[in-house]
Amino acid sequence: MPAELEFYTVDDGELSQEREQIKRLLSESDLGWDSRVETFVFCKKGAQLIACAGLDRDVVKCVAISPAFRGSSLSLQLGSELLKVALERGHFHLFLYTRPENAVLFRGWGFYPLVEAPDRVTLMENSPIAIQQYCKDLQALRRPGGKIGCIVMNANPFTLGHRYLAEIAAEACDWLHVFIVREDASMFTYTERYELASQGLSDIRNITVHHGSEYIISRATFPGYFLKGECTVDQCYTAVDLLLFREYIAPALEITHRYVGTEPICPITNKYNQDMKFWLEAANSRSLSIEVVEVPRITRHGSPISASEVRRLLQNMDLRKIKELVPESTMNLLISRFGDQRKSEMTHGVEH
Amino acid sequence: MRIITEAVAGTLESSDLLVKVSPSRDKTLEIHVASDVMEQFGAQIRRVVDDTLKGLAVSDGLIVIEDKGALDYAIRARVQAAVLRGAACEELRWEQLS
Repeated sequence: MPAELEFYTVDDGELSQEREQIKRLLSESDLGWDSRVETFVFCKKGAQLIACAGLDRDVVKCVAISPAFRGSSLSLQLGSELLKVALERGHFHLFLYTRPENAVLFRGWGFYPLVEAPDRVTLMENSPIAIQQYCKDLQALRRPGGKIGCIVMNANPFTLGHRYLAEIAAEACDWLHVFIVREDASMFTYTERYELASQGLSDIRNITVHHGSEYIISRATFPGYFLKGECTVDQCYTAVDLLLFREYIAPALEITHRYVGTEPICPITNKYNQDMKFWLEAANSRSLSIEVVEVPRITRHGSPISASEVRRLLQNMDLRKIKELVPESTMNLLISRFGDQRKSEMTHGVEH
Repeated sequence: MRIITEAVAGTLESSDLLVKVSPSRDKTLEIHVASDVMEQFGAQIRRVVDDTLKGLAVSDGLIVIEDKGALDYAIRARVQAAVLRGAACEELRWEQLS
């Protein structure tokens, strides 16, 4: 009698003897090991590992089936198991990356394509309507005008650099939509970043500050952004994020221009800016081109104002220097959050 | 009955179906059916789903169905299970489930 199929789940920390087998299985499907996968669902037949699927929070990846077992119902069993495991971990709304030619297989898992970077990758989500609902919400916030600008910022924290970019863009456009990156992976919480940007821009009359979403520079659409330490930007991922913007978000708000500051320091952001010109303007797409406007950064004492510089100065508790780089609202938060720390350090004789 | 939390019932396997329910944002009842046999049986599947939801008096929620050629009673059972989970229903009224 043939051995029964056995499904089981392993969290990343507990992987041991499987690791080599998984790597082999993935390489048979031209996939690499992804260290961000937190949970694997495996299928074994006897001692042989014949299928796996990985979960990185709400993103499905590393799905592979041993060539000898393809074309059977195994894929659907694997998909069912994975969805069950994801739900147990609190992830109902899932994203999935696959090569475009495999997207049809994942339709069988209840995933629907969102965007495709041709010959590279397709991003799917397990809802037939989630993105449409999101776009409908955005449409309600449309503003009239022929030139509608957009800035996406992390604002970690909001600086005079952000303010300057928004001023230039708002001046040039009928309306400016500003999105704050929602993912809580930064020094300042999302609530803080959103509040600071809202306060810092409140006096400009033609600006809407929007909440970010999982469709704009999120862990799902652009994982590389949140892994700056590794300094590798995956070309595929910038494409996915930018195509989502061009094909869904921009049409919903009738955005015609995207504004971005030049990036002299961070290689990831710089690469993203360069990719932006290709994917928003030049690449083939079912949607209109969005003009990318790169605005030179405002400088103070010869160096560009950036949030990363502010964070660096914060490590040295150099609030005096920071004061020249941020608006009052941001300064107030920094003082309330870090001022006491500074005082206590000073009483201990630590002055930088 | 209202869907107040996200819930799932069923599988993606052949002759079964996956039913996902989640709260509606605008207090409406929205139903999406995808099926391997949509061309032949789409209307029939939709009728069974509608009847089942009506039997449970579901007033609002988002119902997403991935059907793999399930028979009517399987559809009914899976929809009921997902809805009862999503409505966080403690007390069953069995006569509604017939």
